[in-house]
Order: sequence, then C-alpha cells, then structure tokens
Amino acid sequence: MITGLLSRIAETLFWTGRYIERADDTARMVDVYVHRMLEEPHADQEADCRALLAVLGIPASDGARLDIGMTLDQAAYDRDNPSAIAGAVLAARRGARSVREVISSEMWECLNVTSHGLVSYRKSAERLGPHVYLEFIRERSALFFGLTESTMSHDEAWRFLVLGRSLERVDMTARLLLARMPATPYEVGWPMLLRSCGAYESFIRTRTWDGDPQQVVEFLLMDRLFPRSVVHALATAEEALAALDPGAGGALTDPARRSIGQLRTRLEYADPQQLQGLLPDMLATLQRTCRQASEAITSRYFIYEQPVIWAQEC
Amino acid sequence: MGWLLEIVHETRMHYQGAARASYNEARMTPLTLPSQTALQTRVSVGNGTQVWAYQDYWGTVVSSFDIQAPHHELTVRSHAVVETSAAPAPPDQLAWVELRARAAAGIAAEYLAATPRTTVDPALAEAARERTRGADPLETASIIAAWVRERVEYVPGATEVQTSAQEAWGKGQGVCQDIAHLTVALLRETGLPARYVSGYLHPRPKAGIGQAIAGQSHAWVEYWAGDWVAADPTNQASVGEGHVVVARGRDYADVPPLKGIYHGAPSVAMNVTVEVTRLA
Amino acid sequence: MADIFDSYQLAEAWDEMFERPGRPRAPYAGLLAALQPLDPGELRFRSDQLARMFTDRGVTYDYAGEERPFPLDLIPRVIDAVEWDLIARGVKQRVLALEAFLADVYGPRHAFADGVLPWRVVCTSTRFHREVAGLEPPNGVRCHVSGIDLVRDGAGKVRVLEDNVRIPSGVSYVIENRLAMTRTFPALFSEQHVHPVYSYPAELLAALGAAAPAGIPDPVVVVLTPGTANAAYFEHALLARLMGVELVEGGDLTCAGNRVYVHTTQGLRQVDVIYRRVDDDFLDPLQFRPDSVIGCPGMVNAARAGNVTIANAVGNGVADDKLLYTWVPDLIRYYLREEPLLENVESYRLDDPEVLHWVLANLDQLVLKPVDGAGGSGIVIGPKADEAALDALRARVTAQPRSWIAQQPVALSTSPVLIGETLAPRHIDLRPFAVNDGTDVWLLPGGLTRVALPEGELVVNSSRGGGSKDTWVLVPPGEPEPPFADSAAGQAALAVAAQPGPEVMPPQLPPEEQVSRESGPPMEDQQ
Repeated sequence: MITGLLSRIAETLFWTGRYIERADDTARMVDVYVHRMLEEPHADQEADCRALLAVLGIPASDGARLDIGMTLDQAAYDRDNPSAIAGAVLAARRGARSVREVISSEMWECLNVTSHGLVSYRKSAERLGPHVYLEFIRERSALFFGLTESTMSHDEAWRFLVLGRSLERVDMTARLLLARMPATPYEVGWPMLLRSCGAYESFIRTRTWDGDPQQVVEFLLMDRLFPRSVVHALATAEEALAALDPGAGGALTDPARRSIGQLRTRLEYADPQQLQGLLPDMLATLQRTCRQASEAITSRYFIYEQPVIWAQEC
Repeated sequence: MGWLLEIVHETRMHYQGAARASYNEARMTPLTLPSQTALQTRVSVGNGTQVWAYQDYWGTVVSSFDIQAPHHELTVRSHAVVETSAAPAPPDQLAWVELRARAAAGIAAEYLAATPRTTVDPALAEAARERTRGADPLETASIIAAWVRERVEYVPGATEVQTSAQEAWGKGQGVCQDIAHLTVALLRETGLPARYVSGYLHPRPKAGIGQAIAGQSHAWVEYWAGDWVAADPTNQASVGEGHVVVARGRDYADVPPLKGIYHGAPSVAMNVTVEVTRLA
Repeated sequence: MADIFDSYQLAEAWDEMFERPGRPRAPYAGLLAALQPLDPGELRFRSDQLARMFTDRGVTYDYAGEERPFPLDLIPRVIDAVEWDLIARGVKQRVLALEAFLADVYGPRHAFADGVLPWRVVCTSTRFHREVAGLEPPNGVRCHVSGIDLVRDGAGKVRVLEDNVRIPSGVSYVIENRLAMTRTFPALFSEQHVHPVYSYPAELLAALGAAAPAGIPDPVVVVLTPGTANAAYFEHALLARLMGVELVEGGDLTCAGNRVYVHTTQGLRQVDVIYRRVDDDFLDPLQFRPDSVIGCPGMVNAARAGNVTIANAVGNGVADDKLLYTWVPDLIRYYLREEPLLENVESYRLDDPEVLHWVLANLDQLVLKPVDGAGGSGIVIGPKADEAALDALRARVTAQPRSWIAQQPVALSTSPVLIGETLAPRHIDLRPFAVNDGTDVWLLPGGLTRVALPEGELVVNSSRGGGSKDTWVLVPPGEPEPPFADSAAGQAALAVAAQPGPEVMPPQLPPEEQVSRESGPPMEDQQ
C-alpha cells in the first residue's frame, strides 16, 4: 500500500472544493444582485452589472451596454470560464471523474447529475427568471458538501477538499467586501451583502442592528460561529493544514499554515472599533494570503508532472 | 600485430535556460570482439551522476543515466583503451544461391530489409543490381562501395544527422554517415545483408606513438557473405588497426552516440571532441 | 405451450442453445425451463432495466466519440463443465507456449536456431521491440493477463481466432455483466450452479504481487491508465478499485536512479509493479515515441535493472502478430512437446509466393486479416465483399504481403439474442481471460461472450455495434457449491441470522399519557 495521497488526486480534490464553493457563492451573489436590479427600477443597471462582474473577477466585454441578460451569460451560464457558475461546476465534474476512486460514488453522481442539469435549468431560467437556476446550484452545492461530510472518510483526501472550499470562501467574501469599500464607486446595500453570504438571518438573530455598516463587516469577517465568516473559514483551513502536516510537533515550517494562522489571529484580535480604518489593508491581505497559501500548498503537496512535451537531444 | 589506441570522446551539451528531469543513453563504449579487445572503458557524466550499463539488442554497451536537478550543461566523457588488429584475410565466400537462402532463414534477415533512412528509389536500386550483375558477393561489395564513394563527395556539414541515404545521393555530398547509409542500402538491394558500424578511426597512420590526434566518430559498414566482412567506403580502405568498433545496427538510428529527453527549452548547442592516441 | 422460443429461427450456423428447433442442448435445459414462462414484454422490460443500470454505473464504451452502455443481452451463454475443461486446458497450453516463445525471442532464440520458424517472422513484426531484448521479468512471466479469442465453427469445434497478450480488455464487462444479471434476473440463478467470477481482481492482484522484484515483502502495485479520455477508463478504474490499489496516470510517476516513484502529498513513494493499460509505444518516451505525454521516461530501464515490473511485459505484441499466430501450433509442439488442444482457424502465410498467388486468385472465398489489426479492424471477408473492394484489397496485399494473412471463413456459432421483442440468432465468440502468476495459469470461469448485433455480421466487436452476454460455466452436479457464489443461492447463503431490531428511543412519558401526542405551546393566534 502507498502511504500518502497521489499529488494529482490531492490537487484535483482541492480544486473540486474550490469550484463547487465558487459556484455556490457566485450563485448567491448573482441572485441577490439580479433581484435588487429588478426590484429597484431606478437603479443604474449597467453600473450594477459591471460591479457584479468586477467582484467576480470576470472581465466585462467592452463597448456594448451591459444588461442583466449579458451579465448572466457571463457570470452564470458560461460553460468555458471556471469563474462562472456553469464553468466551475463543469470543471469540478471533469476533475472528479478522474478521482472517482477516492470520492464516494454519491458525490460523483451528485456532480454528474448537476452537470447534466445545467442545460435544462438554464432553459427553465430563460422562462422563469434566473432564480430557479441559481437555486438549483445552491441546493446541489449544499448536497455535494453534505455528501462530502457524510459519505467520505474524513481522511487526507477529504481535508484537501475542505481546504480548497475554505480558501475559496475567504477569497469570495473578501471580494464581496471589497466591492462595498468606499473607494469603489459601486454601492451595494448592506442587507444585500448579508444575503449574498447567506448570513442575513444569522446576523439579524445575533445582533441588534442599528444600521451601522461596520457591524456587518465585523460579522462577516470576525464572527466565530457563523460558518461563512472569514475567521471561521480561515480556522477550518488551518485545521486541515495542521492535520495534513504530521510532523508539526516543533516549529511551524509550513508557509501556508503560518500565513493563514497569522491572518486568523490578526482578525480574531482586531479591535472592532478600528476595523473601518483597517479594512482596505485587511481585504488586500486576505486576497494576497489566499493566493500565497494556494501557491504554497501547490508547491508542497501537488508536485507531479503535468503532461509535457519532451525535448530531444541529438 | 595490432595497435594500442586510447580514445577520449567528450560531448558537451549547453541548454538555453535550465534542463531538468533529463534521461539519457550513451553508446560510446568500444566493444570486445575477435578483431579488438577493450582493455579499459569508462563513461562518466559530470556532477557525480550515477551511470548504469547494459548491453542492447545489437550487442552495444549502453550507458544510461538521469539527472533530476536543473542544469545548464551536460558533459559525457568516454575514455577507452583498445587493442586493435590488422584487417583479416577475406573469408571464404558463399555462392549467391546459398547465401540468399541462409540469409533469409537466419538472423541476418534483419539486415536485408530497408529502414526509413536506408530506403532508396527503385531506379537507384535497379541501377545497383545492374552494375553488379555477374559479380560474386565480395566483388559486389567493392563495386558498390567504390560507386557510392565516387558519386558522393566527402563534404563536412553538407548533410545533417537526419539526412537519408537517398537525400545524400541526390545531393552528391555527405559525410561518413551518409556514405555508410548509402552503401548498406545498396548492398541490401543486391541481396547482401549489410549493417551500419559506428566507431572511431585513428586518422593518421603515420602519427607517432603517444601523439594525441584530434579525431572524429566514424562510420563504416559490414556485410554478410557467409561471415561478416568490414569495409570503409568513405576512405576506400580496409578496416584494420586504425578502426575501433563501438556499435552496429541497421542504420544510425540503432547506434546514436547520445540520445535523451528532458524538460526544458528545445534548443541545444552541442560540442563534440574525439582524441585518439596510439599508445603502442 | 407457446413460449418466447417458438418463433426462434435457427441460422445457417451451429446454434449454441438449440440442437434443432425446439430441442435445447443439454447445458441449456435448466435455463430454457426458467425462461420459457416469461413473455416477450417482460424480457424487454428487464433488458431495458439492464441498460439503465449500465448507464447509471458508467459501464460504457466509446462509440464514435459517444459514451454508450455496452449492450448486455439477457440470455446467458452456457458452457458445461466438460467443455470448459477442454477450453481451460487449451488456453493454458497456448499461454504457456506464448510465454516460452516470448522468453525465447527476447532471450536465447533457440527456436530460430533449431529451425522451428524463421527469424524474419519476428524481426519484420512492427510489434517486436528490440528495446527489451535481454530484459528478464522477475518471475519469468510476461503475459500476466491474456485474452485468447475463441470461436465455434459450423461443426461445433472450438478454435482459436486470435491471441491477445498485450493489454487485453473487457474483463470489467464480465464482472459487471454478472452483477447486473444477478440483480435483474435472480430467478435464473436459483436453479443453476454457476461458477462465480468475483475472484478475478484477487487473482490478478496476487499474480501482480508475485511478479514483483525479488525480496519485496509487500509490493506496491499500481494501475497505469492513459486517463479519463481512454475508451477503457471505466475498466482501469474498476480494476484499481477492486484490487484496492492506486490508479495512476503517467504524470503521477517519475523515474530516478532506475527506480519508479509515484508523487504523493508526502513525497515520492517507490512503485514495484505497474499494471499498465498504456500501449508500448507510449509507455516510455526515452525508448519509444518521444512525443508521448501519457508515459514515464526511464521506465523500461528501471525494469531492465530489475527495480520495477511492467505488466504485461513490453514487446508482447510480437506474439499477437497474426503471422505469428499461424506458427503457434508449431510453438506448442516445440516448447511444450504437446499436441495443441485447440486448433487455429485454417490460415495461409503470404510470404510463400505460391501461396500468395493462390490467395490472390481466391480472395472472394477467403478472409483477409491485417497482421497487426486489433479487434476486427481492417478485416475483409471475401464472400461478402464486392468487386471494387476485392480489387483494392488485391493491390494492398500485393504491395505488402507481410502485413496480411488469409483464412478460411468460419461461420461463427449463433445464440438467441433479444432484438426488439423477439429472439433471433446472432453470431458470438468468446474471450476467456487467463492470469499467469508464474506457478499456474488461472482462467476466469467463462470470460467475455461478445455478440455481433447486426444480422449476419461475423465480426464481433464493440466498434462494429457489438454487445455481450453473461457467460456461465456450470458446476457439475455433485460438486460442492463454490463458497460465496455470486448466484442468488450463494447470496442467500450469505444472509446472516435474524438479529434483534434496532434500538429505539425509550418512552419519555408515563404509559397512560402516551395516548395523546405532545404538542407545542399554544400559538398566539389560537388564544
């Protein structure tokens, strides 16, 4: 028996976690944005569309005036771009097909059925509005992660999947908050922000809100109990990394774990009163740390040969 | 009485950027045969790289090695001391009928079929048969060798390592590799099993003992006329004390001195030096 | 009594099930009795169920770029114990002769010195790989898995059609077919004693372990696949899962210092045995195609150094060459000093000018096969070809006689196959799978029965619209039931004794209050 997980499989699982989390978060964001645009006829639809694509990191096509339909095409239905919902689901399915021996057959079937459903739900969405499509994605993501918890051994393979999901969640929340920063011209309503993260009910139940936006920021960044908060996601990622590094008795040498841990500590002990001032720096750090952690994880765990064209001597 | 020759064959590869995960095989070790005895042989690669040896299908000693770490340069050095012998007397040749029958049934059948590099136009093949009509096997071989040498001028750099026999014929120019390819190709067309030989040649028989001469890898041929007979069509000379055999095969592709693959930019610069010294 | 077999019309061939209309052959009596009460609609229903199960489970093959379920016909093919014994001994004999031949070809070449066959048969084969000359596998085995294709001719005689000792595929269908049949048609198995097929992965794993380099107590075995785009990926994944070993791709492996390693999250781990499903040409770009991106350079030299075992061995294809096939009976006599138990189909070698001349004159009555065609590709059946096709064939054979052999046509035996809602005869063949662990050659009981689904089609292959049948080898009466048989009877035997029911939450309330259910506090609107 081989001890240790194949690097290729670990990487595929890491990205499966990221892609499904991305599809889920994107669906939530798109849903909230689109409904706001529809509810508020006076809103600047074009600006809102650009804001949404900017948050998602999808370059808006130049020239043409953006409308909701085009935005949905780019952010939701694009099957080729893994930053779009359909693209992310299909990328996850492609990867999962090559690791079917490691994940449970129910997880595989879940992704398989979700991928096959993209076309028909898009058709429904064209008749009934995008909500049915976005709801389908949210439900299937929840099902997938539920199956991940309940039908897959919580072993090394599972940890890579959780790690990917957690880092993606940190990244997506940072993107969302970044869009809300004063420096950006696009205004996003605070309740909408909370809804995008599925955090509205939790927030309202645990806080008495006086309308101060800072409370929202604090909740999304620092709440220890809400599973979609940045601190919670960072702690989950850290836990997974700690379990993956069996020799972690002495000094911490894993750069991914160190930077994530530092960031989590910094967030946990940050003074809520000063949060507003720290925010721009904090969000930039969040995104940078996610990227660096992902790179560190890749160079430590995912070393294998991509298909290469060999150069010949003589 | 033969000669005692020392050969130092060094190949240096320079890579544009770094090469890594490099896997290589060198065919640079002189053989021990009835006509020569390899007293010392050693193939070494820089940086303490471990080298494994095995004997391939053709009887060639292959040195294999891999280098995982990124590197910008690769040096393969073969050092050998070989005792050679004078050209043997020509063997008792078989009559064509028996030669053809035995060649077709035996191991030599392998050396009758054209390879991609030694495939010639039907017209050229027919001309070779025409030219040697009525000749016995040994005469046939010398007619073909002389004809090839007469038609192909020795011009270094005129051809490349991938050039085929037919291309060299069309060009009328080539090096020992091309002349050997053409000779084996046409010998096969006349019904003689023929093989390509790669090795070294001491280029100046009159050089003094202990004098290091800048030499080259060399190529010549052997054909089967009941026993294997060697011939050097490039020099139109007998194969004797000055020749050191390293490898034999159907054509160059079976005997390349160095082949390998690696990760990295494809462009390489190669620098090959061969130094031959007659020790005794 | 009218039944589904009443309308079954025998074809001009040996029928596996019926001696003559209405009279089943002995091994099929039990099956016929079980099937007769069924009506065609029910057969169709179960057949559709089978197809759906295969689609869901991903038991598919690649047909013109499309994933299709491999069609499984409901009516099993039955082989009795006596005939299976002959087949098993014949296949073993053949595998052992091919092993001896390959060892000779890549080793001392005695058979050629002894004049059994000329060396040119070997050295002109495109699948003869000089790169592995002198490479001796640790336990001497080169054909860890063999698939010997058999057909039954018009007289009922079983003959060898071709040998596959490179990377024979299809065993996953045998395993999946049996699983699907026991699930959708359990009743068929209740009266029959059928040899199970579940032990294949264990036998394969044991053979691969036995082939590991000497002195390794717990060898690491991996299955090497070209990747998810390969038509047989399902099989690669299934075998890896059932053997409990890693399924790796070329990029997962790396060679260093003549050893092969797999990249894991905890670093490099050495691999001892590679059950590869990648063709020779793509396996090692240092030795073979340098443009291969699905192999691993250095693997052949690692095997040569005795640090890893490649299974099946590189270079086995020379034994699959159809020209070599014509020599196999001679090889059996030479290496084993036995008479062949299974005959070849009558074949002609075209390197003899007289034979070539005769064959060219009789193309319309012969079958011409490319020597390196696999799975029926390139075959021309003379009696069914038109004049233009024969002319084209004549030109190709004249230009490259070494690339072809000629054979007498064989009317492959037929078996009832459900077409729509009726049973019709279709031609079938049989691929038994043999596993060689170095001490014995084990045969998977039965093997893959392939069906040519188009009417009259003689080439049995999935790329020509083929299907398959579950293949039963009957356990003779009186022989003990195999343990853990995967028949319904076997599964029943596995059932455990009745257990107490699961625990439930104890009653929270005193018994007298249990009659009414608890309800929540009164809601405000109820007040």
